[in-house]
Amino acid sequence: MTAPVGVAMLAVAHWPSADPASVPPIAGFVTSAFSPLAAAVADMCLSEAFGAPPAPPELGEGIAIVLASVTGDLATSAAIADAVSHGQRVPPLLFFQSNPNAVAGHIAARWGLAGPVVCSIPAADPMADAIGSAALLIEDGDATAALVVVASTYGDGRVAATAALIGPGKWVGDRAEEPALAADQPAQRASHPFTFGVRDAVQTPWQAPVARGG
Amino acid sequence: MSSTVQDGTAPQVVVTGLGVTSAFGRGAAPLLDGVMAGKPAFGPVTRFDTGRCRASDAACLPGQPDLAGELGSVITDACAEAGFAADARAGIPLLVALHADAGAARDPAAPTVLGDTAARSAAATGFGPPPRIYTAACVAASSALADAAAMICSGRAPAVVVAAGYLVDADGFWLFDAGRTLAKDGQVRPFSVGRKGMLLGDAAAAVVLEAGDAAERRGAPLLGRMAGWGRAGDAYHVCQPRPDGTGLARAIESALRRGRIGPGDVGYVNANGSGTSFADASEAAALHRAFGASALTVPVSSTKSVHGHALEASALLEFAVTVLALRDGALPVNAGYLGPDPDCELDLVLAAGREARTRYALTLNAAFGGANTALLLATA
Repeated sequence: MTAPVGVAMLAVAHWPSADPASVPPIAGFVTSAFSPLAAAVADMCLSEAFGAPPAPPELGEGIAIVLASVTGDLATSAAIADAVSHGQRVPPLLFFQSNPNAVAGHIAARWGLAGPVVCSIPAADPMADAIGSAALLIEDGDATAALVVVASTYGDGRVAATAALIGPGKWVGDRAEEPALAADQPAQRASHPFTFGVRDAVQTPWQAPVARGG
Repeated sequence: MSSTVQDGTAPQVVVTGLGVTSAFGRGAAPLLDGVMAGKPAFGPVTRFDTGRCRASDAACLPGQPDLAGELGSVITDACAEAGFAADARAGIPLLVALHADAGAARDPAAPTVLGDTAARSAAATGFGPPPRIYTAACVAASSALADAAAMICSGRAPAVVVAAGYLVDADGFWLFDAGRTLAKDGQVRPFSVGRKGMLLGDAAAAVVLEAGDAAERRGAPLLGRMAGWGRAGDAYHVCQPRPDGTGLARAIESALRRGRIGPGDVGYVNANGSGTSFADASEAAALHRAFGASALTVPVSSTKSVHGHALEASALLEFAVTVLALRDGALPVNAGYLGPDPDCELDLVLAAGREARTRYALTLNAAFGGANTALLLATA
């Protein structure tokens, strides 16, 4: 997993199992593991960065959510199609979960993330594409950091998900080196909230340089 | 960090081509006639059975149009207007927004929910495969537009084509009916007392966005300028907007900041205005929060009241309407109005013939998950 120069990985989490039964349910979402999977891996990642929800308000306000998927929510689409094809009423809960924005809203409300919400199905490497989208958002100024979630629920039942919290900095090789505080970006060093704000309750290789930066 | 709009060093983003199809027909002219007259395109759906649904109407083209074909046509139209021949398009990024595909939903072997619509329309028009499909509901296309503008401003690409499409289908209609969002009275009445909800509508649209200096060198037509854009989230709910409108207000403020103008400079707002009770009130609150006293004097309309809600394509259809309205100096009508709602105190455009007295217009969109976008357009 790589990130473009200009952003760095602040926290990362991989869902540990391909078994959909490993995914804890969340209230209001039925039939499909897609939304619960995205929420669960987001929780893992954000817990690493912030501890318990919500994120500190001064940070959460600028954190975008970029939710990408290899598949999209195939099970929900199939359940809707099955109801329509058989002339049965579509279960109302499927309406609320029919778009990936719904679980992005769940994550945003739970963690207090008030940056932009972008959902996509990339053609190639979904994490690379999603990080690129997040980097563009940060560089363009509507987000100060981004939670990037790649969640996929395959037709054969497997699930896979990774989440990463990224922010300004420099990414070198396969891990961050003094990420948010690159010497050639003094303006970011001086002004970016992550320089001062990320909690250091859980020290990770990604997080430590940022936490030290203040 | 690359040059940005905010620091004044980035190129201007201009619109050099536009193609659109709506329930009014193919091309900009019938769409403009419909939105300026405030004449809704809704009628009983005949494309599929609505027998078990509460609602029965939508804004549909006749027959069973093919989405890839419609998308290919509007991409071709937009590129032709911009002066990009088919053999010059392969290196131009194509960003596409789409709804889940009904065929893919019935194919157990489908790799994604999307089908091959984007790939077919891209191949048919000389583009490479889109890098991603934007799926963020009602802000999918506006997110693509904002990304395209940011790509141009940061020097990632001199030109980007954005396309989006949705054709009313049984899965979408039955789903939204199950969510009790569709208007049983067959009319969309944004910001009006007695509004009953939204109705779906067909749309396919494409625009060419380009760096102003590059467009000028090519002698491309300048249909308008994308002067600003803003995106922000509500951090509030899975599907309901924040009642006080703070998320959308922050998106508006970001767009105005990029455009280096104040609320008083905006002469028209093409509102999200879905016609649902809760969402319209939230949007009115956002306009008051962002505009202050100007919220009572800036003309507002939601053209969903005539062309319907095109889901992932809605923001691009409304972007096209707003570009054309600014170009022609006329304001689209907010149709279906029955009377004032105290929660939606706005200067609504309620009759045809009202002139635009401004260079600037906003087009707003809000979606599930508390996703909000504001795009600021200016005359070229």
